[in-house]
Amino acid sequence: MSSPPVTPPVVTPPVVATENLTKTYGGRSVVDDLNLSIPAGCVYGFLGPNGSGKSTTMKMLLSLIQPTGGRVQIMGRPMTRGTRRELLGSIGSLIEAPPGYAHLTGAENMRLVQRLLGLNREQIDDAVRTVRLQDQMDKKVRNYSLGMKQRLGIAMALARRPRLLILDEPTNGLDPAGIEEIRGLLRRLADDGVTVMVSSHLLGEIDKTANVLGILSQGRMIFQGTRSELMTASAPDVIISCSDPQAAVATLRPFDARHAGRSDVAIPALDDQQTAGAVAALVGQRIGVYGVRRDEQTLEDVFMSLTAGGGL
Amino acid sequence: MGAFNAELLKLKRSLSWPVVVLLPVSLVLMGAATQLAQGGQPDDGWHTVWVQSVGFYGLFPLATGIAIIGSLVWRCEHRGSNWNALMSGPTPTLHIVVAKGLVIAGLTAIMQVVLLISVILMGKLGFGLPGMLPGQYVGITVLLALMALPIAFLQSALSMLIRSFAAPIAVALVASGISVVALNVVGDAALASPYALVTRTALLGTGTFSDPGSVTAGDLIPILAAAVFLVLALVVASTVILERRDTRV
Ligand SMILES: Nc1ncnc2c1ncn2[C@@H]1O[C@H](COP(=O)(O)OP(=O)(O)OP(=O)(O)O)[C@@H](O)[C@H]1O
Ligand SMILES: [Mg+2]
Repeated sequence: MSSPPVTPPVVTPPVVATENLTKTYGGRSVVDDLNLSIPAGCVYGFLGPNGSGKSTTMKMLLSLIQPTGGRVQIMGRPMTRGTRRELLGSIGSLIEAPPGYAHLTGAENMRLVQRLLGLNREQIDDAVRTVRLQDQMDKKVRNYSLGMKQRLGIAMALARRPRLLILDEPTNGLDPAGIEEIRGLLRRLADDGVTVMVSSHLLGEIDKTANVLGILSQGRMIFQGTRSELMTASAPDVIISCSDPQAAVATLRPFDARHAGRSDVAIPALDDQQTAGAVAALVGQRIGVYGVRRDEQTLEDVFMSLTAGGGL
Repeated sequence: MGAFNAELLKLKRSLSWPVVVLLPVSLVLMGAATQLAQGGQPDDGWHTVWVQSVGFYGLFPLATGIAIIGSLVWRCEHRGSNWNALMSGPTPTLHIVVAKGLVIAGLTAIMQVVLLISVILMGKLGFGLPGMLPGQYVGITVLLALMALPIAFLQSALSMLIRSFAAPIAVALVASGISVVALNVVGDAALASPYALVTRTALLGTGTFSDPGSVTAGDLIPILAAAVFLVLALVVASTVILERRDTRV
């Protein structure tokens, strides 16, 4: 019997890759030795609490600021001051706050983008319809709500039909329906092959859209991978309910067990094999085991414990 | 050129337009005010009307006007995230620098035309002068629009680098003052300053300060050469600085 031919997985190089990317301000590392890798066609959720260096990193990816150390590669090419204008033609971005000339209307702002980038009418209309701003185009941007400005900013970034989209907290100021719309939009774009990098300080906000997560804390990457890898990386406690928790803690001392209230004993970082061993040990000591379960843990808990503890 | 077309669009509803119209009109009115109050015609006819408004205009109001236009044209880029958007697009830095400078210079040229028309109207309607403004002053208007290019690019660079609206205007005022003094003290050597360049041009044919009163090719050559050199140097310097500069917001 011959086994079916094995097709090697297609290895496409990451759309964004950084190598020891560092930025220091006055001797303080704001972004510290970052090795970012964003696969093609994914939604990359870039997470971190306020001040963790998300915007600073994104600005370096766009060469808005120059790194103190390290390198940035975009679509396989180094991103430097010499190459940036060429690369920026296929990168749509929105950093910190949405752009827009306040004394012009939405339509005039879009026409400006059209002239600047040499786009056609259809690309502009498409982008405007995508963010559902077509009914607000004759209003001056000065009179836009924050949500409308945000949409206009996204439309301006989308008009060039980018291959890479870098959005810094794009859902700021949007209502829940708006946030949901943007999520859907990002997913659709990724399905069409656009690579999307989106930052947030709220995990819940991009948890459902992002398939790859990068978590930043005080300028350092403390986690990078898929959602399920994140859950595994921070394996939840095993909780054993039993007849004599005090005795159980003594028996399971080698496993770092602790009393977790009532009849519960909590044991950190146990794999399945070790869990079976722990239960056997309790039974051997004639301690009645009522139940064994994994502690319920949301991604939010994982995120909080990661960013609070400063690392895995 | 995409960048230039985009700049034209940004001029819609811009405060630059009132500056372009009101500055020259008010200068011509101010220059003629005393004479108008006294009644009668100026001694030297068209020449006097020209010297009273344009001669003064070249000393510092013109440079200040260009500075105000420069600050207005750059102000919107310093607001919110517009700087980041401008610098994270594919438009080459050189195009940004040239487009901004040309827009400022273009508005300045329109300001000179308004000045010319105001002088003519003042001569005809205000004083009922016979004939027409001598042709050489039309030539000087054109020349003045060209000689304003270095200041346009210099003020553009200042307003690009300085977020403050007022600081570049203050620079223009002080620099014009110094340049007027320098023109009197060191003569044509002062033309290394763009501010001295427009002052010298505005004084052409007026016979005031260092001007002999008649315009010859010999007067024009150093002025033209200085202007071309200054524009090129300013474009190169601004492009290099902007290309290296990090965003600050
Ligand atoms: N130009 C600068 N000079 C000095 N420090 C700076 C500068 N820019 C940013 N920082 C510092 O770098 C750190 C990271 O800032 P950054 O804006 O990248 O954080 P962030 O993750 O985007 O935060 P937020 O969620 O609030 O947007 C902050 O402590 C900030 O004060
Ligand atoms: Mg930020």
